[in-house]
Amino acid sequence: MSTTQMLKGIIDGCLLAIIKNKETYGYEMAEKLEEYGFDSFSEGTIYPLLMRMQKEKLVSSTLKKSTAGPRRKYYSLTEKGELELENFMKRWEQLQSNVNNVLHNESQNEGDGTIEK
Amino acid sequence: MKNEQKLSHQSNTFIEDLRVYLFSSGKNEREIKEITEELEVHLQEAEQKGKSIEKIIGNSPKEYMEMISKEMSNDYLAWMKYIVIILLGMFSLNIIPELLNGILSYSVLEIIGHIVIALIFITFTFASFKYISVISHSNKKKLMLLSSVAFTPIILFIGLIYLNRAFETPIVHFNQIALIITGAIAVLIIIGISFWAKSWVLIILLLLLSLPDYFLGKTSITDETQLIVSGLITYGGIGLYIWFSYKQHNKSQQ
Repeated sequence: MSTTQMLKGIIDGCLLAIIKNKETYGYEMAEKLEEYGFDSFSEGTIYPLLMRMQKEKLVSSTLKKSTAGPRRKYYSLTEKGELELENFMKRWEQLQSNVNNVLHNESQNEGDGTIEK
Repeated sequence: MKNEQKLSHQSNTFIEDLRVYLFSSGKNEREIKEITEELEVHLQEAEQKGKSIEKIIGNSPKEYMEMISKEMSNDYLAWMKYIVIILLGMFSLNIIPELLNGILSYSVLEIIGHIVIALIFITFTFASFKYISVISHSNKKKLMLLSSVAFTPIILFIGLIYLNRAFETPIVHFNQIALIITGAIAVLIIIGISFWAKSWVLIILLLLLSLPDYFLGKTSITDETQLIVSGLITYGGIGLYIWFSYKQHNKSQQ
């Protein structure tokens, strides 16, 4: 699996969190993700994700005029989206602790108890 | 659109290609408009910050277009609408010049043949547009492909003429009243489509296809010369029209 592939599911959850915090539009989300260190993916990747989340009714959107001119599409979280975010957070905690445990224990017990021929 | 003018040429081309790709993939028009507008806004802001288009859509525009396309619903009803419009337009364009000659009779084979050729042509057109939108860099390839699509129906029509000679099928004759009604419907269709598409192209095509023959038929010039002159006027006219539209298009882009 490429990093981008692996990232997608995670970015889904991060987008939900960003949108929950504040009604926001695509470019702003991309900037935020970059600020948090996700800078290896292409910014446009968020749009197919947003499209799917909107189809699944996790987010809703409205068009608003900006001072710059063009209309921006602002996203906000629906109730279903908030639930999904909670689920994601639980799943992530679990995954994170599992991975941490594996890495921690296995690298400490290096050499003993492992399968050797 | 004033927003579009600020975009770089590369981004503009990408947005255009995306629109064509999604349209020829049978996606919903409203959704196409939404996503292209959203991306336009994004590209514009990114460009202001000096980001490259690759930072936004990745290294393969094709892959990105496919990603977007996968998330969109298909709108076959809208597609059918276009197919019906193209079919009606093609038939009207075919029928009117013949009406002016005062005879209209088709064999069943011809009628079926016309429909089949039209459908093949439409399928080829959509497929080639979809293909063209992802090979944005090769103009030569695009031109080759489009001209072969344009030649396909001509070859098929020639084939149909021979087929029609080889096999006898019942012939449908149009009498005087049927002629007038068919003509009126065909003209209304052409006018209707022109209004709907806000374009003169069909009307100009119709005039170029039918008028030279009609007026030359009234002169005493030999048949052979008539054929050559009318062909020259028709295709020369179409060429001029395309050239003129191209100039206009370039002007409006600057």
